[in-house]
Amino acid sequence: MATAKKAPLKKPFAGLRVADFAWVGVGPTVSKYLADNGAEVIRVESSTYPETLRRVGPFVDNKPGIDNSGYYANFNSSKKCMSVNLKHPRGPELVKRFIATCDIVTESFTPGTMDRFGLSYESLREIRPDILMISMPLYGKTGPWASYSGYGHVLQAAAGINHLTGWEDGPPIGTGVAYTDFLVPHIAAIGLIAALDHRRRTGEGQFIDFGQMEAAVHGLGTAVLDWTANAHEQMRMGNRDPEAAPHGAYRCRDGKYVVIACFTEQHWERLKAAMGRPEWCDLDRMRRKWQRLDEQKEIDRHLGAWIEAMTRRPEDPRDELIEEADGLTMRRFTSFEMMDWMQSHGVPCGVVQSPEDMHGDPQMKHRKHYWKLQHPTMGLRTYDGPSFRLSKTPSELTKAAPLLGEDNEYVYKELVGLDDEEFIELLADGAFE
Amino acid sequence: MTAPETPPVPTPHPAGPLAPYRVLDFADEKGQLCARVLGELGADVIKVEPRDGDPTRHNGPFFKGDAGPNTSLWWWAMNAGKRSVTCELRLEPGRLLAQRLAAATDILIETWPPGKAAEYGLDYETLAAINPGIIVVSITNFGQTGPYADWLATDIVGSAMGGHMHLNGDPGRGPVRTLAPQAYAQVNFQAATGAMIALYARGVNDGVGQHVDASMQESMANTMDYNQQTWDISRINNSGPGIRRASALGMGGARYLFEAKDGWVAALQVGGVIGPGAGPMIDWLAESGEDRGLASPEWRSKLSAMVPLPPDERDFVEETLNLFCKTRLKEDLVAEAQRRNSGWAPVFSPHEVVESKHLAARDFWVRVHHEDIGESFVYPGAPFKLSKTPWAQRGRAPHIGEHNEQVYGETLGMDAAEMRRLKTRMVI
Repeated sequence: MATAKKAPLKKPFAGLRVADFAWVGVGPTVSKYLADNGAEVIRVESSTYPETLRRVGPFVDNKPGIDNSGYYANFNSSKKCMSVNLKHPRGPELVKRFIATCDIVTESFTPGTMDRFGLSYESLREIRPDILMISMPLYGKTGPWASYSGYGHVLQAAAGINHLTGWEDGPPIGTGVAYTDFLVPHIAAIGLIAALDHRRRTGEGQFIDFGQMEAAVHGLGTAVLDWTANAHEQMRMGNRDPEAAPHGAYRCRDGKYVVIACFTEQHWERLKAAMGRPEWCDLDRMRRKWQRLDEQKEIDRHLGAWIEAMTRRPEDPRDELIEEADGLTMRRFTSFEMMDWMQSHGVPCGVVQSPEDMHGDPQMKHRKHYWKLQHPTMGLRTYDGPSFRLSKTPSELTKAAPLLGEDNEYVYKELVGLDDEEFIELLADGAFE
Repeated sequence: MTAPETPPVPTPHPAGPLAPYRVLDFADEKGQLCARVLGELGADVIKVEPRDGDPTRHNGPFFKGDAGPNTSLWWWAMNAGKRSVTCELRLEPGRLLAQRLAAATDILIETWPPGKAAEYGLDYETLAAINPGIIVVSITNFGQTGPYADWLATDIVGSAMGGHMHLNGDPGRGPVRTLAPQAYAQVNFQAATGAMIALYARGVNDGVGQHVDASMQESMANTMDYNQQTWDISRINNSGPGIRRASALGMGGARYLFEAKDGWVAALQVGGVIGPGAGPMIDWLAESGEDRGLASPEWRSKLSAMVPLPPDERDFVEETLNLFCKTRLKEDLVAEAQRRNSGWAPVFSPHEVVESKHLAARDFWVRVHHEDIGESFVYPGAPFKLSKTPWAQRGRAPHIGEHNEQVYGETLGMDAAEMRRLKTRMVI
């Protein structure tokens, strides 16, 4: 039936309009999924209280500027932007008229903020009965911490990520990023699109109370059940893993690290082969995984020394051969060559890639993960695409991030329905600031 | 096998937004959570296992430390609320049986190395000919094609190759990973997002399905905060900042972790003592007589200016807050800092997360009954509260082939004789 059709498929969210009040990391990533897949997403911002990320760099040419932040840009591809001063007497009314034309409202303010502007779900439902609204504060809409502020960098601490990241004898350093900002938006998007599918089938909108902390708890693997079922508290352990040995990051002579993970006996046998079976690894007490887990310290010492000895800096001579004890000759590797060598032997191995390495990574290039988009003030910049490819309706980053208020004329005239005179009057009166 | 009475799990969930759909789960660590969350939104998720059980049933930790096919906490956590059938894909009749299941499926999730699905006859092209509406979600380490497509990876390799791990760790000790596997978590949730987009696309395109090709490496690339752009724009190559927050501008950021009497607190910009909101925080130190001079007008103006402090001054400010925190309880510190509009949070361990008063007040946790061992356990609850079509936990994870009769009999309409035949031929 479907095979006879030749017409190109519609983009999934074509025809849907989104009023996107959400800011910083989480909300904009959720609406980016909508925008990159066909929805008309309109960021609702203000110049009197600009979006946090617009005020944080990296800035092009190191010049701070509202329309110059790479941080903001990366999460806001394919979107439009309107600006409004909600404290202007007519601000809330204009926004309501705009929302009446929308299908979805997203926001991530501290609970109560939208209500104060008369933009609660209940009041928005009156102007748009099938509206789908998602609120994404850090800790949800209710509860003793509902009013707590913060960012993803500290929410990772409250959600258990810090405790599980670092060295056993060191502080709970957590990830070096605002981690939950890059974990929970995907979960929010799953819930939102599921609700959107329900709306498509039934015409019914709804409200989604999304507490970022609760979503983040679903990223804790077995740590919750290990406590609730076993009363066992999991603890950070550097790069080790309770299920694998060896399992770690090993320093190469070029300053980079390679990671190696041996979960199975096969991985270990292959690692031994890749190393040319030095004497230490053929010991009886290292034969089985449970034994190797006990001998990790020694294994790591040997393996670390071997990696160090077998690697070279890029400027070191390439062809210097090293004679191993059993007569095998090998040449020294860079970290990337070491990774190739290990993988060619079937050992799970990778380089700890820096941001620079990521930009040059041949696999990322092959996947076309990075998009180059031209921005009016920032120039040609690199944007992240999604981690998946849809074969028939691929995501498309249609444009660079919007300038603040770039689409005011379109929104206020075409959607809200202001005439030229009213538009200029309100503009002069600061309603769009 | 016991009598074909209805198994106690999963509990029905007709009110979920995905209740009309069926999901077939052939996934390992990279896709089981993806399938689970679709089930919690109402989909009928069928986990397909080899006759001797899915390999992840051997992933630790185990309930009471006893390894066994039904005691893996990984299995419990990632497969709760699914149905389970056995189906031996190494045998031709097994592959045909899997195709029959796929014919009655909306979303198929698989994590085989590229090419394996085609060997099984379970690749998108083959299945689309049988079921044009099917969505096949393929989750792999690096994607279906490309120079690394056939490479091996586990969680730490995904984290390293995805650029995330470089941003974690300590300048002195190098990169570090999170013990709870984040590359797995990320690719599960991002692939589920891709699946949902494909499902919606099907709804607006006359029921046409498609292939979703997800990469663990790329899923981690999407967790790099501003650092992709920091390289692109400023050619700064950030790395793990330890107890500091790396700066988007590439300068050494301010410390954000402080040791309290009973653990640690996370508090950006030296707990807000540096920055435009510093006033109330300095007052707090001063009220306790522990400001070490920071309450002076000179210090106050220096601290609220948005100009980086010289290293010795910053060290002094950090040490002041460090001393202040050391004598106080972390939750008291956080409550007072929040009262003064500074976004602190406590560093919680898993058991503190479970015992959080906030999550209890939100009625977050659910208790899941394991009638097979006569106990019930606390599991994470709703990751989002949908007002009309709620999320629901669907009960414990299934035993091996627990739903063979139910799925093959009722869902596929197989008669007893055929089922017996498949059992004899060691297919199910």
